[in-house]
Order: sequence, then structure tokens, then C-alpha cells
Amino acid sequence: MPDETMPDNTSGRYPGYDVLAKRNGPSWNDKTRAVIDRRLAIDPEDHRIFDDAAWRTLKAVCDRIVPQPPKRAAPIPVAALLDRRLQEDRRDGHRDVRLPPIAEAWRRGLAALDAECRRAHDRPFHDLGPDQQDALLRAMQEGRLDDPAWEGMPSRLFFASRLLPDILEAYYSHPTAWNEIGFGGPASPRGYVRMGFDRRDPWEASEAKPGREDVAWEENRRVR
Amino acid sequence: MDDMTRGAASVPARLDQRPTRPARGAAWAVAGLAALSAGAALALRRRARPQRRLEGPPPVTLRVAKDLNRSAALLGLAALADSAVEHYRGSFHNPAMVTPLAVSTAVIGVSLFGTLDDRPRAHAVRDAAYGGAILTGAVGTGFHLFNVTKRPGGLSWLNLFYGAPIGAPSAVALAGLLGFFAERVRHTRPGEAPAKAPKVLGVPAADALAALVSLGILGTVAETALLHFRGAFHDPAMYLPMVVPPVGAALLAGTVLSGNGRPAMASTRAARWGLRATAALGFVGVGFHAFGVHRNMGGWRNWSQNILNGPPLPAPPSYTALALAGLATLSLEEDRRHAR
Amino acid sequence: MSGDRMFDDPMPDDPMEVPRATNGRAPDVFREGGWVPMREHSENEAVDFAIVGTGAGGGTLACKLAEAGFSVVAFDAGPYWRPLEDFASDETEQRKLFWTEDRLCDGDDPLKLGDNNSGRSVGGSTVHYAMVSLRFRPEWFQSRSKLGYGADWPIDWREMWRYYQEVERTLQISGPLSYPWGPKRPRYPRRPHELNAAALVLAKGAEALGIDWAPTPIATLSSPHGKAPPCVYRGFCTSGCSTNAKQSVLNTWLPRALAAGAEIRDLAMVGRIETDRAGLVTGVHYHRDGQWRFQRARNVVVAGYAIETPRLLLNSATDRFPDGLANSSGLVGSNLMVQLNQAVWGSMAEEVRSYKAPPSLALTEHWNYADDGKDFFGGYCYMSQGPLPIVWARTLAGSRGLWGEALMRQMERYNHQVGLKMVGECLPQERNRVTLADETDRYGLPVARVTYSYCDNDKRMMRHALGFMGQALEAAGATDLWEERDDTCHLNGTARMGSDPATSVVDADCRSWDIPNLWICDGSVFPTVGGVNPSLTIQAIACRTADRIQALAGRGAL
Repeated sequence: MPDETMPDNTSGRYPGYDVLAKRNGPSWNDKTRAVIDRRLAIDPEDHRIFDDAAWRTLKAVCDRIVPQPPKRAAPIPVAALLDRRLQEDRRDGHRDVRLPPIAEAWRRGLAALDAECRRAHDRPFHDLGPDQQDALLRAMQEGRLDDPAWEGMPSRLFFASRLLPDILEAYYSHPTAWNEIGFGGPASPRGYVRMGFDRRDPWEASEAKPGREDVAWEENRRVR
Repeated sequence: MDDMTRGAASVPARLDQRPTRPARGAAWAVAGLAALSAGAALALRRRARPQRRLEGPPPVTLRVAKDLNRSAALLGLAALADSAVEHYRGSFHNPAMVTPLAVSTAVIGVSLFGTLDDRPRAHAVRDAAYGGAILTGAVGTGFHLFNVTKRPGGLSWLNLFYGAPIGAPSAVALAGLLGFFAERVRHTRPGEAPAKAPKVLGVPAADALAALVSLGILGTVAETALLHFRGAFHDPAMYLPMVVPPVGAALLAGTVLSGNGRPAMASTRAARWGLRATAALGFVGVGFHAFGVHRNMGGWRNWSQNILNGPPLPAPPSYTALALAGLATLSLEEDRRHAR
Repeated sequence: MSGDRMFDDPMPDDPMEVPRATNGRAPDVFREGGWVPMREHSENEAVDFAIVGTGAGGGTLACKLAEAGFSVVAFDAGPYWRPLEDFASDETEQRKLFWTEDRLCDGDDPLKLGDNNSGRSVGGSTVHYAMVSLRFRPEWFQSRSKLGYGADWPIDWREMWRYYQEVERTLQISGPLSYPWGPKRPRYPRRPHELNAAALVLAKGAEALGIDWAPTPIATLSSPHGKAPPCVYRGFCTSGCSTNAKQSVLNTWLPRALAAGAEIRDLAMVGRIETDRAGLVTGVHYHRDGQWRFQRARNVVVAGYAIETPRLLLNSATDRFPDGLANSSGLVGSNLMVQLNQAVWGSMAEEVRSYKAPPSLALTEHWNYADDGKDFFGGYCYMSQGPLPIVWARTLAGSRGLWGEALMRQMERYNHQVGLKMVGECLPQERNRVTLADETDRYGLPVARVTYSYCDNDKRMMRHALGFMGQALEAAGATDLWEERDDTCHLNGTARMGSDPATSVVDADCRSWDIPNLWICDGSVFPTVGGVNPSLTIQAIACRTADRIQALAGRGAL
């Protein structure tokens, strides 16, 4: 993929927007600062729930589900965020009877994906090229994987109820992802004033209009 | 991305408005105008001064005219601050939103000039500025009405609450009208002595002014009522402007417009106190509104939101301005009675 | 197990670990670090009422009963928050407000629980509700006799109208000056909020299709009230309100309850209701501070919402009540009703930025009140929406199966997306039910198994709503429309009220038919759900129940 479809902080739809610039302003309260600070301090390689093999698979899966711009200086540590969630045993409040509890589902799902890979390509998932990886993930999404390693867990259900939502939850919990989509981010005590169409408060992301990227850049640099 | 950007490009210019550029432009325009008016006022005053020594003590009409200039200046200031805050909130999405800022600044400038000018003559610059303000108020009301009616729901309570405030541009017009009256009261034909009972458009000035000020106060009360109703009268003090200014307006109108009656000292005194209370309410109101800002989430620390979403700080002084004009009207009325 | 412990020292005042409402005081929700006095009751002396759950049903009832002079202890499994200091502006962190422990889901259409239908906090799910506060359509209280479906309520709508007003006053609802649907109602205590762009889209669409719309009556302040400031439109409503502008049970009924002498026990999970040989309840076993304890009570009120309520009743089975308490009809746990929560989404050329302001500022109840041309029973309303990034990403991915570059490209348009979402009436079906699973939770209690399948009527309503919302969205100028078909919201009906012990669990006063000193007061008692969010009705029922209990006590019939 060419770079321009995948914005980072200097190009893309919200050039120069950094939600962390608001950290010390009225949009963030103490609790939010504490929570986000802890999230940002996560070591991208920290994994305690997944063993090394599963970890490599997981990281490769994350790269395909939420691909990040190659020139992003500090990629979002999606896999580590997920590992942290499992360490803290944060569950959903519902579980399809065909799925085991969250950590077990992940371990089994990643092992099964690797097993499918080795059977089809004689290589682990993380060694495959992007197209082959995508093909396998698509097969999982469509429920076409049924290696005994799944132990009866429907691959389609694992993809739809665990893999996809959990990875997205990890990715979009990170300020860098908020920058990418122009989300205002934390907002308390200060919320928002301007509500109508095409209205932004000076502390919101400015969208680059064609030919006026410099304006957006300038406005985004002033976000506090 | 591609189809999106194409989509954006095909939308009317509205999308391309950059809020901060016009905002900065407006700030410069206002600052420039203010400097210009102040300079003009000083320059004109210097030219005006020598005449003063040639005449005796200033006639009542001149004093009243200056009082009215002062009221116009204060009302212009309130309108300037209010339209600056509200149109900043509206991101100056329409370039015309700068107009009331420029016009009310001009009103302030020429009014200050008027307070320093001792000549019993109307001045073309002041008349031009005041006329411009009246026109701006009228056109602004039309704009605001259009803004309200084009929203989903049309002329509904919701849109009266949150659409462009229909009553707001009247403040600019009122400032212009007060100034216009000041000029008429002040003006004496060369060689003539100042009139004992000046007229405006054929009506005795005191009567016309009393009507204008009373109606102005009532209009302002209507706008306050709407906004305090929006705030559910959550604080009993919010009823004060429903009570005090109408009483002041009624006493003023009653005293001046009661016809050819004999001088009624008691009613004049009552009117004076009613208007003084109304004038004081303007100051007290700013205090209440400042407390209101503090009471919103984040208080003054969250000023960038609460100045805009909290109670409007510049609104209450309109009462002070109108009440001062009312007091000036009473002076004119007393003068008229002495003359009888 | 809380993972935080693995990394940080437990905070000295971690409300998720250590109960706060102890030693004669409870948290003051309006001040950081603040406390208010709380009367405490002995476990050995029977209190008049032990209430299980402090949400819309239990919290409201605790307040009303305490104010009526009864001694009350209310239990909640969740923490006692001070929103000003405990709530971050963060979707992930604020999942701590949800009931996230496993519940097993099956059936043709397994439910998703937790986020938008179950809370685990003092104040219950009102701590993270979207604040939409609507009255039932009067005919729904007799939907069987008047509209030909569902079951009749044993309560007259005119009586409910009075209690609705009481709740609306307590919550200081902000709403329109005149409401386009239903019988005349008194003016809402507060004026409506300004509409955000997402709500304007709903309004435009409705006007284009020639139906009425209105600013949503909503429980967040549009002007200051008491110690609470007005809404700042931060948009994190369903992640908990950190300003107290949201009028939840936590900051309305419960401070009053405490002032009236009620005791609230946080982090107190009730696992079993005790019964004696006479077949009356004698108190509750609850887990707090690492041990099981017992509170004696003359009456027990179960108010755990439509999953935990039947779970507790079923878990309290004895030899005398082998199928669980209050279950002679066999209906405890059955007739579970969710509401349809399907949506149509699209994209606007303009920036919408629906993350600003409460998510549902405009609505139309047109299809709750119009009956012609429907090929289904029941009604639905629909509202504007404001999903935050995680919810939005999961919706996009879940509904359209997107991931990878395709998903990232769609996510980039976040600030232009707009949607209309229904709250639709599902019909009661006995096969939709809560039972006990073999798995147990951290207290060793069997967890709930929740079985759900749509019926044909549900599916027809869904089709109608999706079609109509699609037209409305298109008429408002949205493009690239797509449908979200698998979402549901709210939980009701697993202990329905009625006038016949054979076909209902409780009577009109929320008193169980089988055990005269056992009451159920929450969404479980709904015989039908209607097409509006249930929180206002649950609170109205609680107010009515309190009045009825007072009346019964007055004539010695308690």
C-alpha cells in the first residue's frame, strides 16, 4: 500500500493532530491522565499470557487486521495491549456457549491458526507473506478452517466474537489511533461547544480539505 | 479517500470556511476601527474645544445629549462583546458576522467623541455611524430570523433557544437609535438658542425617548425571559430581570407619557429610583453570570467552554445602558416641565 | 482477580477492591474524596427491607421506602463511585461500569450482554445509560386486550402517568415543550438541549418523510441543579458521566436514600435468599470483604435486573422450593425480552463528529404510535447515535466483516458517519429464558445461561425499521448506507407481573405470589417491553411499589 492511504501524524486526513497535546489542558482530568499514562507505558514486547510461538502469531495477525503505516515512529502495541487485557482478565459479560473463556479461546485460536498454516504451507503463520496470511484469515472469517486443533470451537465464531473485536478494541484504545480518525479524545471537564455540521472547536482535530492541508496542519498544531 | 475528497470539494464554500482566519481578521478589523475612532474623537475634540469658552453654562439639551452618547457607547460595548463572543462561537462561518463588531465599535468611537464634543450641533460622522447601526440591527434581525427558520423545526422553541438569537441584533439598533436621538436633542440651528423642548421627527424628544427606552427595556426583558426560561429559572435571581426593568420602564413611561399633567415630583422620583435599580441590575447581573460560569463544569479553568456555554457575561449591561438613557430622559422631562 | 494488582500496589481507596460505604459513612458523589453520613444496621436485627440491587428499581425503591420511614439496607455487587474522581474519559477503562463476568449465551440469536444492558455499580446500569427517558404508550399497558399481542399489565396507564411525572421531576429531565405523541403530559422540568449534527440528520430525515420528530427527553441537565452542573457535551455518556450532569440513580435517588436513613452496602454480592420452614424469607446471604455474611430482614426485594434477578431466585432453591423461589408458575427466568437495536449507518459530505454531546439527542416515536401499514405487532422508536471509536470500529467490522486496509479506510471517515438506531419491542416468548449453567463464578455461584431467539414478528419489525430508517437517512443526505442487524439492548421480563398466579410471578405491587415477604422490583416484572428505553418505567414502577407497600403496611397487610 502506498503511504498516502495510511496517514500518520504528519500526513493523512488530520495532519499534525496529536490528541496528547491536550493532556495537560482542561480536556483531561487526573483519572484520565493516570489511565492513559499507564497504557502508553506498556512495553510492546511484554507478553505473559501468550507463549513465544503464540506471540509471534498474534503479532502477525494484528498486523493484518489493523495494518499501521510503515513510517509510524511508535506503532500501536496492539498485541501487548491484548496480552495486558488478558492478564487483567477483563471479560465481555457474555460468551457464546461454543466458546471457552477469553484467554483459553485466544490460546486455542492462535494455536489452531498455526496448525492450519503448517498443514497448508508447512510454515508458521508469521512466516507467510501478507497475501497468504490474509487468505487464511479470510478462511477463518468464513468458517472454512476445521483442523482438530480448534477442538470444536467454530473458527468463524472465534474470528467474529474474539479475534476481530478484541484486536479492534486494543487498537482503538490508543491515542495514536484517535489521531488517525480525528477523534477528540478525552473530554472532561471540558467537553464541546460547537455542535452543528462542519463546526469544530479549536481543541478538535481539523480535517485536511483538498488543497488546504496547510490550514489543517496549522490548526492542528494549535490544539491544546 | 478519493471519493471523499471529491465529495468535499463539490460541497458549497461553507465547508471550506476556516473559522480562525475570519476570527483573526475580525479582531484586527475591530482593533483598527477602535483606534481610528479614538483618534478621530481626539482630533475632532481638539477642533471643537475653542468654541466652548464663547458660550455660557452648557444647556440641558447638551448635557442630555452627552448622557445619551454615553448610553449609546455602553450599549455599543455590550453589543460588541456579545456579538464577538457569540459570533466567535459561530466560528464566523459567514463573513457578514464581522459586521456587528465593526459597527458597534464605530458606535462606541463616535459616542465617545460625542461626550467630548461641546458644540450644539449634530455631526455627520456620528449620524452616519448611528444610522449604520440602526441599519445593521435591522438587517441582522433578518439574518437571524432566516437562520432560525431554515433549521429543522422552523420557528420552534428549540430554534428560538439555540438558533441565532432573534433579539440580539436589536441591541446594535438600539445603540444607534439612542445616538440618533442624542444628535437630535443636541442640535440647534446656527444662531438659535437651544430649544427648551426639542423635538425628534416632530414628536417631543422626551416623549419619543421615553417610548424608545421603555420599549427597548421590554424587548431586552423578552430576550432575557427566553434565555432564562431556557435555563429553567434554576436560580430565583433569574426572575430579577423579569421584575425590576419592567417596573423601571413602566415608571419612566408613566411619568413622561402621562400627558399634559402637572409636574409630578413623586412619580419622577419613583421613576428615577426604578431606573437606578435597573442600571444597578446590569452590574449585578454580570456578577451573577460570572458566578454561573464558575458553577459550570470546570468553572473558570474551563473558560474556553464556559464563557461560550455559560450565561453570557456581556448581556446584563444592556440594562444599565438603557436605564442611563432613561435617566437622561427624565432630565429632559424635568427641563420641559420647568419651561411650562 | 483484578489484574491491576499484578502491576501496581492496590490504591488505598480502590473502590473496586475495598468497600467504601462502611463505618457510618458513604461516598459523597458530588465531592472528590467527600463523604456523607450513613446510618448502619445490625446484621442480627431484621431490617424492614433488604434490597438486592441499587439500580433503577432497587435504588429508587430504597429511597422511597427509607423516606417512608422503613429501615432499609440495599446491597450492590458493584463499587460505590465518585464520578468526579473515578471516571476517566476512556472507553476501555470505563468498562469497569459493566457487568463483565461471563454469562453463557445460546439460542438462535445469542445475545451480547455487558455494554449496553448490564451494570455493576452502585446505581446500576443507570451509571452508564444513555439517559433516554420515555413514557410507555398508554395502550401498551393493555397490549393483549387493546392491541392483540403480548400480555396485559395489571396497572392502569393513568396511574403510571402520575409516577412517570414523579420520576421526571426527580431526574430533572430535559425535554421538548410539547411532545408530539401520546396524551398530554406536563412540561418537562428542564428545556431541551441543543441538537448536534447527528440529531439534525434525524430531524431532516423525519421532515423529509413527513413524520414528527422531537428533541429526546433526556436525563442530563440543560441547566444547573443542586450540586450538579449542566451537561458539557463530552459525549462519553455510555462510559459514565464524570461531571454529574447525568441524572442517574447514583446521584439522585441514592443521596436522598442515605439522607433518609437507608444503608447501602457496596461490593456486596448477594448469593442466596434464606427461607424458613413457614415458607417466608428471613434475610440474604451476601459476600463482602472476603467472607459470606447474613443480613436478617423482614422483607427481601430482588432488584438485580432481568438476568441476576432470576439467577438469584433460582440459586435460592430449597427442598420446599425446589425450582427456586417465587417460581410455582415455572415462569421465573422465562419471557426474557430484549429490545431490537438495529441501525442504519451512512456517510455525510459534511463533518458530523457525532462523538460530541449525548448520543441520542433527537428521536421519533412515530412508529410507536402509528399502527397502519404495519405487518407486525408492537412499535419502535429510533434515535440519532454517537458511537465512540471502539464501539464504532466493532460495529463496522462486525456488520460488514471489514478488516485490514478496507477497515482502516472506513475508519478514517469516522467524523462523517451518521446513523439512526431503533429501540424496538420484542414479543415475550417463554423459550427465551435465563437458566443456571454448570459453570460457576468467583463466588462459586452457578452463572446464568441466557437463551434467546427472535420470533417472526421481531424479524418483520426489524425489516420495517431498517427500511424506514434507510429512507430517512437517505432523505437527510447520507450516502453509502449499510445496515447493522445484530444488536439488541435492554433486558426485561423474567419475573413478569400479572393478575393471575398461574401466569405471572408477582402481582401489580411487585409482591411475589408465592412468598408474601419476597418482592421483585426491576425490569424483570415487565409483561411487555414496549418500544422505548425502559429505565423511566422501571423507576416509575419502583415509586408505585413504594406507595403500595406503605399503603399495605398502613392496613397491616405487609
